[in-house]
Amino acid sequence: MRPAAPLASGFLLGIALVLPRDAHSQAAAPAGTWALTNARIETVTKGKIEKGTIVIRNGIIEAVGPNVTPPGDARVVDLAGRTVYPGFIDLTSSMGIPTPTQPQGGPGGGGGGGQNAGAPARYVGLEPGRVIANEVAPSAADIRASRDAGITTALIAPSRGVFRGLSALIPMRDDSSAQYVVKAPVGMHMGFQGVAGRYPATLLGVIAYERQELYDAQRHGLLMDRYKAGDRGVPRPAYDANLDALVPVVRGQLPAFFGASNENEIRRAVDIAKEFDLKLTIVGATEAFRALDAVKAARPLVVSVEFPQPVEVTGWAYRAAQRRELNDSATRDAAVRKIVEANAATLNRAGVKFALAPGALKPNDFIANVHKAIAAGLPREAAVEALTIRAAEIAGVGDQLGSIEPGKIADLVVADGPPLGDSTRIRTVFVDGIDYDVIPSAVSRNGQRAAGGGGRGGEMAQVAGTWVMTVNGPQGAMTSTMTLTQTSDAIDGNMISEFGTAAISEGRVNGRTVTWSASFQMGGERTTVNFEADVDGSRMTGRLRAGEMGAMTFTAEKKP
Amino acid sequence: MTMLLAATSAFAQAGSAQQQQQLDLTAVSLPIPPAGKLVAITNATIMTASNGTIEKGTIVIRDGKIAAVGTDVEVPAGAKIIDGTGKYVTPGIIDAHSHSAAEAINEGTLSITSMVRIEDVLRQDGISLYRQLAGGTTTLNILHGSANTIGGQNAVVKLRYGLPVDSLKFEGAPPGIKFALGENVRQTNRNLQPGQEGRFPRTRMGVEDLLRDAFTRAQEYRRDWQQYDAKKKAAKTAAERAALIPPARDLELDALVEVLEGKRLVHCHSYRADEIRMMLRVAKDFGFRVATFQHVLEGYKIADELAKAGSGASTFADEWAYKMEAWDAIPYNASLMAERGVVVTINSDSDERARRLYQEAAKAMHYGGTSEQEALKMITLNAAKQLGIDKRVGSIEVGKDADLAIFTAHPFAPNARVDMTLIDGRVFFDRATSPTLEQLIEQMKQRKPHVASEDQ
Repeated sequence: MRPAAPLASGFLLGIALVLPRDAHSQAAAPAGTWALTNARIETVTKGKIEKGTIVIRNGIIEAVGPNVTPPGDARVVDLAGRTVYPGFIDLTSSMGIPTPTQPQGGPGGGGGGGQNAGAPARYVGLEPGRVIANEVAPSAADIRASRDAGITTALIAPSRGVFRGLSALIPMRDDSSAQYVVKAPVGMHMGFQGVAGRYPATLLGVIAYERQELYDAQRHGLLMDRYKAGDRGVPRPAYDANLDALVPVVRGQLPAFFGASNENEIRRAVDIAKEFDLKLTIVGATEAFRALDAVKAARPLVVSVEFPQPVEVTGWAYRAAQRRELNDSATRDAAVRKIVEANAATLNRAGVKFALAPGALKPNDFIANVHKAIAAGLPREAAVEALTIRAAEIAGVGDQLGSIEPGKIADLVVADGPPLGDSTRIRTVFVDGIDYDVIPSAVSRNGQRAAGGGGRGGEMAQVAGTWVMTVNGPQGAMTSTMTLTQTSDAIDGNMISEFGTAAISEGRVNGRTVTWSASFQMGGERTTVNFEADVDGSRMTGRLRAGEMGAMTFTAEKKP
Repeated sequence: MTMLLAATSAFAQAGSAQQQQQLDLTAVSLPIPPAGKLVAITNATIMTASNGTIEKGTIVIRDGKIAAVGTDVEVPAGAKIIDGTGKYVTPGIIDAHSHSAAEAINEGTLSITSMVRIEDVLRQDGISLYRQLAGGTTTLNILHGSANTIGGQNAVVKLRYGLPVDSLKFEGAPPGIKFALGENVRQTNRNLQPGQEGRFPRTRMGVEDLLRDAFTRAQEYRRDWQQYDAKKKAAKTAAERAALIPPARDLELDALVEVLEGKRLVHCHSYRADEIRMMLRVAKDFGFRVATFQHVLEGYKIADELAKAGSGASTFADEWAYKMEAWDAIPYNASLMAERGVVVTINSDSDERARRLYQEAAKAMHYGGTSEQEALKMITLNAAKQLGIDKRVGSIEVGKDADLAIFTAHPFAPNARVDMTLIDGRVFFDRATSPTLEQLIEQMKQRKPHVASEDQ
């Protein structure tokens, strides 16, 4: 047995135990045997150990307990004063999914003939057979930002689309790639966002399309079974990767992860799941407090802490209708915001089990909003469970992740306080038994990123040029053209749409995020439309809010 | 006077319940109106829409249904009383053509979208629904837009504002489907973006072709299923039955088969007499009835043919000339069609007009000399007939749903306003507890003038 490494104050593991990075970046099995001693251990499933030892071997937790003797070959680390808890699991990540090249406009109408010579056209968002594990290539910055927030595993799937594909659960290690996938496929990811310019473009079409596709999958499975059973009266069904992927979904063998945020979306997802007997996991559920009856019957639940704006909350308009006082919108918004932040607390009180997830929030904002949910009445322990063991169970890996138990993957967070504590600072994160330092300033309680703290905060998007924008409007896709100029973080320019030409005002670039407003004459009224988009090179994805017409999503491509 | 007090205190209670609710976690919900177990509207002028007008009459509501109507009706003990003195009561107004309460209207990417359903996209909390309640409207026929030849499956709803979305559905209403003809479908009023491909059809000929093609496919699909069902019936053993493979289910054609079988009502957006005749020919060839023609601004030219085909007409009182096909319209359209035996309604097609359909009905009297009751029917009983829900709603008769509007004056008078709107005997709008423009103005007057220095 080697002597315990003397641990200085300040940050410890990183300095005390620098391992050559390439030693474990090449091998599939992570190197090293560790004994983390004298730590306060929050196992999540087996209570708290005030002073105990965790032994890690080959990336797996070998032993945990107050009286565990470090094995002779272990690197021993004295963690007196530190707390170790399981790494968090992010069930709503879409990091590292490459943007596929969109086909050039599919056939639009009933009689229109498409001419798709060569490679078959891809319709992103209508691809049940899309295997994310084959595509995922997260950037080091994305991985690091998650890990620094205490996230050790992420479930990767596109965040939009009708049939988004088969998700993959990957560890947040620097060399993460398909070979380290913890589980794939975890589920079939579905949602309600249509495809621009093609059926189904609107919510109407999306639901009909989903139902038809699921009926087709049922039949595909039936025909396949008959054929395999030797019923040669049945012709061999045509190969169809998309239907093949859906067969286990309609048979309840593979869960459907259904993106459904507001009350009615939740109810719609539950209705579809009932019709096809799907193994449903609702993802989003930001208005689950309005649909307790529906979600109780539709566990499990992945609850996003990307809180909706008060005006978007179902029922907000009731208050507007019932308004008896002037200028009470600020009070009303504050009240609605409180309710929305208490969503998880309400579910917890109602005895509903759930995982917490970031939605589209960046890791630090995610943790900051989890703190808001705790402030709104969610017990801290329930929040920790929701980020660890519940998430692991929902991803189907409750036997591998989510708690500190022998036999589980050594995804651990070493911090100077309890998980989600008010002033807890994460020091070191283990993923697959590999230790990673955390730059202390990168994570702060308020989700404010310090300068140079990793992630994408540093670089500013360059948006000058001409963009073609497609808005997913309630009546289908609308196309407009936008010309932007950029001076430092300010943008200017104009937009040309079917509502005429409008000048851009209040244009700002903040990192990858760009926001602006433009005012249009719509339906006899001048309406100010607020845009917010994430810029990824020559592509933008974002949301707009157009007065009473509500929120819509859009994409834009920069003309070369 | 005691009656009035009773009514007032009941509403005061409702108000305080609402205030309590605001502290609750469900504060983005409305307090749900109590069930209309036993309610009596007394001493009112009752316009029944089916049996004339009753002066100083009483309506008794029991468990949401109309239990008694007349002058010689005893008010049961324990009833919640609404004093109708000086008030006019009409059946709840039915809007035969609405686009409210839906999160999407046109799936405009294909011209035949019979598989899409309004019931999938309903949203219950829009403020326009509340405004429509404030105009006495209780039932809506929510239709798709007119971008497509076949737009999709409609939803008939009651404006049970404040309840979850499923509560909106008019339980038991026959299903319907929206068709559309003319300029909107062939998209000649739409500006294509540069490089954007136009969608088939581009002419009225193409519209007919698409319809005939769709129904021919539906016939074949029905035949496949009939053959399967026959084989299944003929199968002698369970194993034989299990060996049969059903045809592929097609949601687009399912809805059209229901049309062929008379189980789904066709509501067809149309303007010109020639295109309406085309639709009638197609329907005749495929053996179904068009339940209603919507807009139907040239209906007066072919009223006899509409009546003969058993098709209703749902039109505007005086809205036209907004595009070429809406040019040849006259303000006598509703009255002329009604005189020839067509079941006529006047609809809103607009969140705004849906708040004052009683004024639109009054125009039928004003322009065309339609009788008062006939005009009232155009926004109540006739709409119920067109939607196949006339056994439930549309007139004030014993046994029907207690869907009622209580007006401050004759509903066709310019100063008439709705005081209270009931659905299933439950008060869903009550002017006494609702914000009004007058109240807001009064509050504004009472506010202190804005002093800039107070901002600091």
